[in-house]
Amino acid sequence: MHRENMKNKSLSDKVLIVTCYSFLILLGITIIIPVMNLIAVSLSTQSSVVSGQVYIFPKGFHIEAYKYIMQSKQFYSSLYVSLFVTGAGSILAVICSILVAYPLSKRKLPGRKWLLLLFVFTMMFSGGIIPSYLLIQNLNLINSVWSLILPQMINVYNLLIIKNYFEAMNESIEESAKIDGAGQLRVLFSIVLPMAKPVIATVFMFFVVGYWNNYFDAKMYITKRNLMLIQQYLQTVIFEAKDPTGDFALNASSTLQMAPQTIINATVVYAMVPMVILYPLLQKFFEKGTMIGSVKG
Amino acid sequence: MIKHYIQTKSYTTTCKQIEMGVIDLSAITRRKKERRSIGRFKREGYLSLYLMMLPVIAILIIFKYIPMNGVLIAFQDYNIFDGILGSEFIGLDNFRLMFSESDFLRALRNTFVLNLYKMCFYIPLPIIVALMLNEIGKRLRSFIQTVLYLPHFFSWVIVGGIFVSILSVNSGLVNQWMKSVGGEPVKFLFDSGIFLNVLVFSAMWKEIGWGSIVYVSAIASIDPEIYEAARIDGASLLQQMIRITIPNISSTIVLMTLMSLANILGNSFEQVLVMYNPAVYDVADIINTYVYRMGVNNMQYGYASAVGLFNGFVGFLFLISANYLCRKFLDKSIW
Repeated sequence: MHRENMKNKSLSDKVLIVTCYSFLILLGITIIIPVMNLIAVSLSTQSSVVSGQVYIFPKGFHIEAYKYIMQSKQFYSSLYVSLFVTGAGSILAVICSILVAYPLSKRKLPGRKWLLLLFVFTMMFSGGIIPSYLLIQNLNLINSVWSLILPQMINVYNLLIIKNYFEAMNESIEESAKIDGAGQLRVLFSIVLPMAKPVIATVFMFFVVGYWNNYFDAKMYITKRNLMLIQQYLQTVIFEAKDPTGDFALNASSTLQMAPQTIINATVVYAMVPMVILYPLLQKFFEKGTMIGSVKG
Repeated sequence: MIKHYIQTKSYTTTCKQIEMGVIDLSAITRRKKERRSIGRFKREGYLSLYLMMLPVIAILIIFKYIPMNGVLIAFQDYNIFDGILGSEFIGLDNFRLMFSESDFLRALRNTFVLNLYKMCFYIPLPIIVALMLNEIGKRLRSFIQTVLYLPHFFSWVIVGGIFVSILSVNSGLVNQWMKSVGGEPVKFLFDSGIFLNVLVFSAMWKEIGWGSIVYVSAIASIDPEIYEAARIDGASLLQQMIRITIPNISSTIVLMTLMSLANILGNSFEQVLVMYNPAVYDVADIINTYVYRMGVNNMQYGYASAVGLFNGFVGFLFLISANYLCRKFLDKSIW
């Protein structure tokens, strides 16, 4: 960044730059290759996968695996559940975060220290897996989508990011609105929120990623197959297919003429796609967002 | 949270100023009265602020504080039909059982080993990546960054799926390649000796990019003029890196290191759960996976809660110590 031209560089400089380029390109390749292999295997013919000929590019282009998955009812129900949980969850979560971050950003709020401690303490010490499970059980939320939405709704990291941003905002506009007679809620929605769009969008994205990638909550609280989240569904597919002598593998190779790995990989690709699509949007926001909140994502 | 008391004048100076009429006492008392009545008006504003927070606080208490009753369950021989109030209280028995159980001790050891191993890479590598990114031309830089940040957004199911796929004995990419150059296929996922390396490598693969963001933004905030001055003085890029960049981000480095330390009982749970299997339990079974198996699979709720409580408590101690160190060296809290 602080260099201008490559001429008149000393030898040590050139060596350094070449090292940096090589290292980073190598790192990039390390990331790209497994993903390309994943996609390649999902598109390749059975014989080429089994005989180990697929590296980065598919051998043959056959989308049977994808078609097969699209025929699975369970895949669709998982997709639908995931979309609902992610959408509803993220919206609710962002609203909740704002509703708490705004009051807590007012330095003169009585009891602010204790309220903050109340929230931050949950980051430090948590009850544990078992008590949470028992709670969900006692609330009769096992096998309910709400067990997937509610526990994750309150994320103190994200809350702090929004709170810090609100604190840094200029108070004079809010005060003039209050003098004009606006109530707190009005001030929040009409004035503060429009000014805080980048941070809200960033936190919304964080929640979307969190909800979409949620695996553990679903595994614990959902046993009905048609309510599984997509990550959980994916895990079941991988697990069933891992056994090379199991039903799934035999079915795949004889009836469907596909290597089991192909089907597994195709399912992984399906689960990956939404993240990849969202990724450019995410990139736009998180670089700004992490610097605003100065909290590691 | 530190209150800053701004001390501006001494008592005697203030008295003199009141005498001289510089400070108008009556105006001050008048303003104080106004502030109190404005105070009441503000309190009305505060009321709506409190109301705003109420539903969220309720959810917080339900989902985060009530499960802290795990503290109680840990001391009971818990039975789901009897609930907390009905289950038999057995004192420290669960804990005594815990420390005599070799599986638990193994899980405890594995947790520390795995996380320390991860930390060896997770602390320096993002720094190195950020330093190197700093030396590259803009276009390649944003391309590499895009590629590097991507795995962070994949769930462990996906990343685990990728690694299971490429490390598979028969048709995995890595073993294929080894066979083609004449080597023997390696059972990456089933060999205790190698599995830890797989875990650490995949964790780095996933997080190294994201981990470097903090450092990249820290480096970006260094004043470019310092580099200019150094360049004019004839410093090489390497010298600039060592003598300018690193010292200026040293506080960020210490903060990140302490945060990693606070997390030493770590959250590798999802990763291990997705990638492990009984063949590698002896190195990969960590505390949380052990709790999971004991609790959810074996239904030993009391015992599993005890282990979970131990885990949470030790983690809490580490966090507090790390925060204390942070405050001591950097005058900052982690939160």
